[in-house]
Amino acid sequence: MSATPLLSVRGLAKRYGGVIALDGVDLDAAAGERLGIIGPNGSGKSTLFDCVTGLIAPDGGRVALDGRDVTARPLHWLAARGLVRSFQKTAVFGTLSLVDNLVAAGQARACGGTLAAFAGGGAAARRTAALTVRALGLLDALDLAPLAAAPAAAISFGQQKLLQFASCLMSEPRLVLLDEPLAGVNPLLVERLVAHIRRVNREAGTTFVIIEHNTDVLLGLCARVVVLARGRVLAAGAPDVIARDPRVIEAYLG
Amino acid sequence: MLAPLAASDYVLHVAVLSFIYLLPALGLNLVYGYAGLLSLATGAFFGIGAYASALLALRLGWPFWLALPAAGAVCALVAVPMAVPALRLRSYSFVMVTLGFLVISESVAKNWVGLTRGDMGLIDIPRPRLGGAALTSVPQLYYLMLGAAVLAALAFRTIVRSAAGRALVALRDDETLAAAYGIDTWRFKLAAFVLGALLAGLGGSLYAHYTAVLDPLVFDVFHTLTLLTIVFGGGAGTLHGVLLGTVVFLFVPEALRVTPQWRMVLYGLLLVVFVFRLPGGLGPALTRLGRRV
Amino acid sequence: MLGALVAWTVLDRLAWPYPAAVAVAVLTSAVLGFAVSRLLMERLLAMPFSMAVLATLGVQLALQNGAQLLWGASPKFFGGGWIAPVQVGGVGIVGQQLVIFLAAAVAFAGLAAVVRSTPLGRAMRAVAQNREACDVVGLDVERVVRVTFTLGVAFAGLAGALMAPILVNVGTTIGLPMVLRCFAIIVLGGVGSVPGAFAGGLILGVAESFVAGYLTLQLRDAVGFAILIAMLLVRPQGLFGVRVRS
Repeated sequence: MSATPLLSVRGLAKRYGGVIALDGVDLDAAAGERLGIIGPNGSGKSTLFDCVTGLIAPDGGRVALDGRDVTARPLHWLAARGLVRSFQKTAVFGTLSLVDNLVAAGQARACGGTLAAFAGGGAAARRTAALTVRALGLLDALDLAPLAAAPAAAISFGQQKLLQFASCLMSEPRLVLLDEPLAGVNPLLVERLVAHIRRVNREAGTTFVIIEHNTDVLLGLCARVVVLARGRVLAAGAPDVIARDPRVIEAYLG
Repeated sequence: MLAPLAASDYVLHVAVLSFIYLLPALGLNLVYGYAGLLSLATGAFFGIGAYASALLALRLGWPFWLALPAAGAVCALVAVPMAVPALRLRSYSFVMVTLGFLVISESVAKNWVGLTRGDMGLIDIPRPRLGGAALTSVPQLYYLMLGAAVLAALAFRTIVRSAAGRALVALRDDETLAAAYGIDTWRFKLAAFVLGALLAGLGGSLYAHYTAVLDPLVFDVFHTLTLLTIVFGGGAGTLHGVLLGTVVFLFVPEALRVTPQWRMVLYGLLLVVFVFRLPGGLGPALTRLGRRV
Repeated sequence: MLGALVAWTVLDRLAWPYPAAVAVAVLTSAVLGFAVSRLLMERLLAMPFSMAVLATLGVQLALQNGAQLLWGASPKFFGGGWIAPVQVGGVGIVGQQLVIFLAAAVAFAGLAAVVRSTPLGRAMRAVAQNREACDVVGLDVERVVRVTFTLGVAFAGLAGALMAPILVNVGTTIGLPMVLRCFAIIVLGGVGSVPGAFAGGLILGVAESFVAGYLTLQLRDAVGFAILIAMLLVRPQGLFGVRVRS
């Protein structure tokens, strides 16, 4: 690869007292890639995302977006530059309707600034209308259209995960970090979601980095997979190679 | 509204007070109901706005129509240096700082005698003038204050329906998530706080020019507690809730001349009961009831 | 406030001696604290913080104004206590102040010992640090809250009864300045630190007297809050506090 990777992580480290969560992780995600991250529980996957997105300050290492150092930059700053992430636990805006959830997720990029968000008037209305159209389209693609006006707190966990996924796409990001997007999702909808990821990746060139426990789906979806164990990169490469790697098998079973 | 034709001067007076109170109540609603910041500073800005407006009119001879926006501006300006460090704090520290701000404001009003005449207060604050004549009768002022209340409610509605309103609700529901989607949560909290201060300050100015006298009692925690009851009891995070709250928790008790002690006991019990039974407030509860019927 | 008022009632209406008045005040406060804890505080554990503020504010409103309805709005003269002057190291103070200081010293020493060494104290610290972990470990959080709150209210009642002779006139308004000072002291000393509270109290007391003596008496109330705000902005964990992960 000659082009600068979209996301570049070097030597990322994080410890909590005596527990080492991340022990010098190196990772690259090329633009337009579908990168998977797997690993047994406690291997540091979510911590990796947290450190990359500035939720947790890493103890060491660098994170670069498009070659530019963005280590420990705050979450909203990264989102404004096209880096969006989802959360493992259920994370939606409970009192807002599903549609409003999505519009809220997309408006920051569309509005461009705190002051502008307060404006009423024609331009703002058109923006909201455009976002609403996008939102309804996404809801439709994920079979959530009938619930569009329901408050997000009223839908099931699996549906909330889907809503989260859709929210991530609203701002048309360059890079999406998905933390276990399939957990709790109806198996019938898992296919829809995967197909949607493929489509967005193909049509918009959006890069996806996906943590998943559902290794079957992940190995089928991603062109490259990274295995984390005990805070370190154990192996990286094509899915079929990874699946046969004895070290990986041992890490999961041992 | 044709009330001035029918109702007594006292009832009109209570109505005017309700209109005036609506402004800081909306301010608090914005800060607490939408941005999710429990702040006791609304009462402080009410008092600061009142004093600013009164002093500008008395000392510099500014007409009401200039003093009003100036009072709002003063509050907004004061709110910024207060909020910038305070918003960094966790919720219990933030509440204490806002309470501290209220206490200190009261202390300043009482002790900076050279500026505020301390406990003696300010008198003869000029009434608003319209078309060359001062509005002095309660029915006249009634219409003015009604207009102010309507404008404030409309402005509030515009704000909460805008993208900013959505952003505020989002950050109230889940601050980290809102940030994850690019919402600059700190800036929005600051904006909500400043707007809340602005609204409270405007209300304070109206209050000063309506009652024509002002003393440090305007900073009394009584006002802040009433505002809290109105917003929380009426329905934080909604417009109709606060309107309802103002009627139920201010207009009715004042009109019935319920003694302050009993009012406070009732407010107190109400707060406790509502926290457990009706945290959404009366407004949303009645809406739900209406839907079921 | 209630401590002082109850003590006054015992003294004035029942004509019992002052120590008995203090004891009754402490007892009634403890009972009240227990009741409030059972009915309110423990149930607030599951709710967001702002709800707890509003509910406790409501209790304070109801109690203060209820007291005003019961006892009347005018302050009462408090006749008990050891108000005879006493010489301590060349400085004349009132005997009651000596009693207060001794009581405070004993209370602080006792509390510090409890928090540091006893199982209850350990449980308190555990609840403060990580409530979810407590549930996992099987620690009865509600019971800890009940004991802590009851104790706290009893102390407040004691303070009210002991301060009454100094204040001379007790009414329903004496509570608020005290509470504000408490906030300032806790923040100054560090939330969760008993030696911190002791130090905070001393520092605040000295600062207030300094301001009252050399600047102006009226600003005394604001001193506490000025210190509080300054501390929160500069060093939120206080002098002795420890930063706790929320």
